[in-house]
Amino acid sequence: MKNYKSIIAVLLAGTMLFSLAGCSGGKKDKDSSSKGNQKTEETGKVDKDGYILKGTDTESKSEDNDLVIAIEGSVSSMDPANIPDTNAISATRGVYENLVQFNEKNELVGQLAKDWEISDDSLTYTFHLNEGIKFHDGTDFNAAAVKANYDRVVNKDNNLRQRRTFIVTNDDGSEEPRVASVETPDDYTVVFKLTKAWSPFINRLSQFCIISPKALEEYGNDIMNHPVGTGPYTFVEWEEGDHTTMKKNDDYWGEKPEVDTVTIKEVPEAGTRTAMLQTGEADFVYPMPVDQIEAVQDTKNLNVLAADSNIMRYVTLNMNLPELKDEKVRQAMNYAIDKNAYVQLMYSGYGKPATSVVPQIITGYEEQPAYDFDLDKAKDLLKEAGCEDGFKLTLWGDNSTQEIKGMTFVKQQLEQIGIEVDVEPMEPATISDKIYVDADEAEVNMWYVNWSASDFTMDGSLRSLLYSSMCPPVSANTAYYSDKDFDKDLDDGLTNADSDAQAKVYADAQKRAWEACPWLFLGNDQVIYSEKTYLSGVYVSPDGAFNYAHAALAQ
Amino acid sequence: MGRYALKRIVSAIPLLIVISFLIFMFIHLIPGDPARLIAGKDATKADVELVREQLGLNEPLPIQYGKYMKGLVTGDLGYSIKNGKTVVEAIAPRFEPTIMLTISSMIWATIIGVSLGIISAVMKGKAVDYIAMLIAISGISLPGFWLGLELIQIFSVGLGWLPTGGLESWQAYVLPSLTMGSGIMAILARFTRSSMLESMREDYVRTARAKGLSELPVVMRHAFKNSLIEIVTVGGLQIGGLLSGSVMVETVFSIPGLGRLLVDSIKFRDYKVVQALLLFFALEYIVINLIVDLLYGVINPKVRYN
Repeated sequence: MKNYKSIIAVLLAGTMLFSLAGCSGGKKDKDSSSKGNQKTEETGKVDKDGYILKGTDTESKSEDNDLVIAIEGSVSSMDPANIPDTNAISATRGVYENLVQFNEKNELVGQLAKDWEISDDSLTYTFHLNEGIKFHDGTDFNAAAVKANYDRVVNKDNNLRQRRTFIVTNDDGSEEPRVASVETPDDYTVVFKLTKAWSPFINRLSQFCIISPKALEEYGNDIMNHPVGTGPYTFVEWEEGDHTTMKKNDDYWGEKPEVDTVTIKEVPEAGTRTAMLQTGEADFVYPMPVDQIEAVQDTKNLNVLAADSNIMRYVTLNMNLPELKDEKVRQAMNYAIDKNAYVQLMYSGYGKPATSVVPQIITGYEEQPAYDFDLDKAKDLLKEAGCEDGFKLTLWGDNSTQEIKGMTFVKQQLEQIGIEVDVEPMEPATISDKIYVDADEAEVNMWYVNWSASDFTMDGSLRSLLYSSMCPPVSANTAYYSDKDFDKDLDDGLTNADSDAQAKVYADAQKRAWEACPWLFLGNDQVIYSEKTYLSGVYVSPDGAFNYAHAALAQ
Repeated sequence: MGRYALKRIVSAIPLLIVISFLIFMFIHLIPGDPARLIAGKDATKADVELVREQLGLNEPLPIQYGKYMKGLVTGDLGYSIKNGKTVVEAIAPRFEPTIMLTISSMIWATIIGVSLGIISAVMKGKAVDYIAMLIAISGISLPGFWLGLELIQIFSVGLGWLPTGGLESWQAYVLPSLTMGSGIMAILARFTRSSMLESMREDYVRTARAKGLSELPVVMRHAFKNSLIEIVTVGGLQIGGLLSGSVMVETVFSIPGLGRLLVDSIKFRDYKVVQALLLFFALEYIVINLIVDLLYGVINPKVRYN
């Protein structure tokens, strides 16, 4: 049956390819940096404030007070509890607010909550709410509103993506709530009692937007078309695939917004985004591909900026394979890769070689001793492991131009020490199908991939990728890395309310994984964006969401 | 003609059923699990199972197909996996940009293309013919992607006359229509020319000339009228293509049309939306072919429908 299915699939795919060929031919890769590394000395320079290019015309003024942000992807939802992509996070954050948030320095601070306490056993989280806040429809913000939102998210019938933050589904399909109870002792206090200690909880609440309970009652899940929050902007319209518009909330409880309207415009083509910035149709453009920087070099009223991201780029090594079983082999492979050249080639220098299993931005990050590019050392290690004659491996990855470039780089580097690599680019969904299979069917050798932990926690960065019980098909530990002490570190990290003790176990976890080399550690790239010099107060967070709460246009 | 049209519409139904089956099978056979895509990379197996159950993807394919057909008949096309909108809600706003763009591109491409074709047929072998055909060849060989970006550079960034995209005003349609229509203009010019050359060699044209008619009525009334059938056929097929949306033009000019929706939906394995779109495109071709066939009778009363 399977064979028969695949024959039909191939035939149909052939027909489809044939008929689509005409329209896909012109599509340029979205993040290609066609510069290659010809200009390596000049690129990659960012000053301490993040400027790659600083516009000299600082006196220029905006013609209107309407902020236009041009983005690459789509805002696919305006329901903050059902977010399919990062742009939807950015768009909903104009209208909605959370109990806590990450500020510009990436510190966790209160937003709707004034402050909070965590009990010593890490089980009870008590939030004291800001008073006098109203939703856009005039409803009061209070503890009951928080509880109403919690109840909505955990209700299975609502089918919301955020449910997974609060409910764990076991392998047998049974469910375990993370939260035992939500209590509201008074109007401005909310107490979450957890069933088990889970330290990422507080960070996850930075994604838990509070919607007006009255609007929830009125619209149900159609709330995505009628967003009502407490944020600095009120909702005007959302036309998926085109734009999302908001206007200034004059009654905003915090620092009043300055711009009259905010429009997030979806502009998939990078060249067009750059053109919009040049013509003034857009005030802020994100992302800005490296190859566009030169195009705006002479435009005096533009800034180009870079910001650190939470993106970790790496190649997983299937440790179950006889070739990759030996730690020395995996270390040798890490020594064989010139990480600086990688960052230069792939990101024109706008990034850094990886210095741990997680990016610097993750809470608890600790720098590890680098595997500096050293072919002799690599060859020696291979010899010690008895693999001096080399071997052959496949490398899987997405089929975008940029990813193929990265895979080809890895291939070329590993071949220097006699490891032959077959690069096999595939459509992302196809890779998923091949990755998430039972261990005895696993065909994966190496996987060129990346990870961004949107909650910035160590647990969010490592558990799905390296915890021993998270091997496919359960989750994404495609290195099949299994270290009981590492697992214990992660588990201890969850229950530790004391941040120093937590830092200690997380430091140990990083050291273990770094030494064991379940991955080829590549790099952490930066996000690049561009803005008019007359715009201030808009920035891109490390998770790729942009913040415009304090946007101002010089008039 | 009315009976003929009705007969054609009725006979399209089994065709649509076959197409719907092919579309359904095709979509469910492409590798890639939508449940995994929706649940996210960090989802555990149990999370993915839960999503699969919620989407009804656990049921055997024939049952899924049955439900899908039942939905089609009752007008319930289901929900977009991505954000829970109904399929109609997801698709409806995308029609207008695509239709407007199709109309505006077709109008100028037809007028210019057919005129160029007639002129170069009449002036065959002369400089005008070569210039007209050079324009036609450029129109078809310039990559639309490049042309679009160049037009933006010249008319938006350089001269500041026209917006870079979007569809807020009539000016916004100018550059995308130019980009989209250039290839069609070229095709129509080439077809008109060759078909005109053919009909100008026919006996009835010679007779018309022999009767002493001046050149213009000979070309327009006798030769061109007989070339129309071919031009309408080619033009009809082009409209069908344009109405499925152009990913390239929609991408360069940030237009929220059907083409981009289809590509985005395929990437996301948004089955319901992809199914509805493909079925609609098939229907569109059937209807346009019918219109073209009916036009034959209008153009040439000798064509009989039976």
